[in-house]
Amino acid sequence: MSKLLDKPLKMFALYALLLLSCSIPVYYLVVDHIWLGELDEHNHIIQQRIENKLSKSDFSDEEIGNVVKLWSVVEPGTSLEQVFMSSIPHDSLYEVTRTTDFDGEIETDRFRGLQSYIQINGKTYRLTTETNVEEADETLSAIAVVTVAFFALLLLGFILLNRRISKQIWQPFYATLRNLRDFDLNKNPALKLDSSDIEEFAELNQELEKLILRSVSTFNQQKEFIENASHELQTPLAILRTKLELLLQNESLTQEQSELVSSINAPLSRISRINKNLLLLAKIENQQFADSEQVEIVNLTEESLELVSDYIANKHISVERLMLGNPIIQCNHALFEILVNNLLINAITHNGDNGIMLVEVSEKGIAISNSGSAELNAQKLFQRFSMSSSSAQSSGLGLAIAKEICERYNWTISYRFENGLHVFSFDF
Amino acid sequence: MKILIVEDERELATDMVRYLSGEQYLCEVAPDYESAIERINLYDYDCILLDLMLPGGSGLQILQHLKDRNKQDGVIIISAKNSIEDKVKGLQIGADDYLAKPFHLSELSARIFSIVRRKQFDNSNILEQDGLKIDLLSKSVSVNGKELQLTKKEFDLLLLFIGNRNKVVSKNAVAEHLSGDLADMMDNHDFVYAHVKNLKKKLSEANYGNHLTTIYGTGYKWQA
Repeated sequence: MSKLLDKPLKMFALYALLLLSCSIPVYYLVVDHIWLGELDEHNHIIQQRIENKLSKSDFSDEEIGNVVKLWSVVEPGTSLEQVFMSSIPHDSLYEVTRTTDFDGEIETDRFRGLQSYIQINGKTYRLTTETNVEEADETLSAIAVVTVAFFALLLLGFILLNRRISKQIWQPFYATLRNLRDFDLNKNPALKLDSSDIEEFAELNQELEKLILRSVSTFNQQKEFIENASHELQTPLAILRTKLELLLQNESLTQEQSELVSSINAPLSRISRINKNLLLLAKIENQQFADSEQVEIVNLTEESLELVSDYIANKHISVERLMLGNPIIQCNHALFEILVNNLLINAITHNGDNGIMLVEVSEKGIAISNSGSAELNAQKLFQRFSMSSSSAQSSGLGLAIAKEICERYNWTISYRFENGLHVFSFDF
Repeated sequence: MKILIVEDERELATDMVRYLSGEQYLCEVAPDYESAIERINLYDYDCILLDLMLPGGSGLQILQHLKDRNKQDGVIIISAKNSIEDKVKGLQIGADDYLAKPFHLSELSARIFSIVRRKQFDNSNILEQDGLKIDLLSKSVSVNGKELQLTKKEFDLLLLFIGNRNKVVSKNAVAEHLSGDLADMMDNHDFVYAHVKNLKKKLSEANYGNHLTTIYGTGYKWQA
């Protein structure tokens, strides 16, 4: 991709190149024309002088003959010779190119000549004056060299100016771009863009601020909606649960009926679990759980392991603990507990009977692994409800919550499949 | 024993009354802040079940009112908010327990049982029920003076069952009682069976009558 300002620069440069290229022959024609005109005038003046001098002084025919002879030796550019013509022709201009052998060097020279006829002592003489003119190709190449040099200067100027313009004039644009890049909807400080005295940028910033304001408010509404919705669901869920429990107390219930009542409990638990998790997720996103303290990670992990020990034993999962350090991290105790619990629960529910579970705590972070058969889609794992379609156990939110908590503290949570183990780890 | 249920959700309040009335509890309902304060000023209760969000005021204000008057009523906060701040604040002001909605009635009953007994016996932390002597502080149980060696989970189980005498306690409720919020996240509660089996075995080894029956596919019932 090319920068915006480079586009006009390219066009400008091309136009300048075209124009300057055209200017070379034009300059040449103009210079040559002026030059020839000047030379013609020059030749004319010389001839006039000669004519004046010759006609005023009283030379005899013989003397003139001598002069002409002498002249042709001393000044070959000018010649005078007698012609015998009944009528005197007009003056004429001509151009001629001659090759001269100058000390062994062969040179081609261009001459501009003027032929005129003068009367001396009643006789007609043809006076020819020639002056050396610069050759056409020499003029042309000189002009070309100068033009190319100017073109180079022009291009250099364009580039330098372009840089300055892009630095100065586009300054507010780049500032806006930087602000947008740093903006995080989750952290939610309203975006404040610098004002600009350039109309287009001011307008751009204004519209961007409006757009972001709308996004922020939509985002907040959505978060609030989730929190309110799941909160509203809590009470009917509670009522449903108590009603079922009361129903179970009924003495006249047959076994079939009481089993039916019990089987309603499982999906009810799932709804209640999803709802609780949604509420939790909304709370984390809404920046609740603000207070933080020094949390002893190893202790907390051991406590969590103790809490799930029944589930581990029930599936005959063998647990291996690797406590390689005793990190103490500044964070919210409840959130960290939820994070570790979620990863442990994940490692239990998605483990087979007689599986392996590996819990590793080091100064760097925590890794919790469990046996598995095939690699999972790491892209989708941490998204809400993305993996829960088939499993009746999962709330579909456990890993999303874990990720949310990690993001809150700028920890990186990751998944990899290694030696038949699903490894979920995060680094402090 | 008198219990005050401060709850604006009528259905839920009725269900609680219905479940708890089977025991020797006498339940009253206050559906809003005003009537709760009025009743508290007039009577003493063994236990108050306190919802936090009420029409006319907050449950925490009621709690503060109780403490200002130096009332000794046991208080269990029952809240749908499940917010840690509320829990911490409530316990700081002087609530005895906190239960998040939705809860199992059997869980509620077990908690009431512990609190009421504790208050009744001047915080002695020892209950005697159905021939069992239970020390809540040292978590020990004895049958006819002979100590029973129970694990922490078996002890918790026993408290749950005794707090729900003659009631069916669902397997779900048992699992939640044993592993708290975590049970909510799991579907398979088969481990409950192992703990119940061990408890039963220890009780029968101490020559304690068989009070605990399994209701197939549903849960358990402590009959006394």
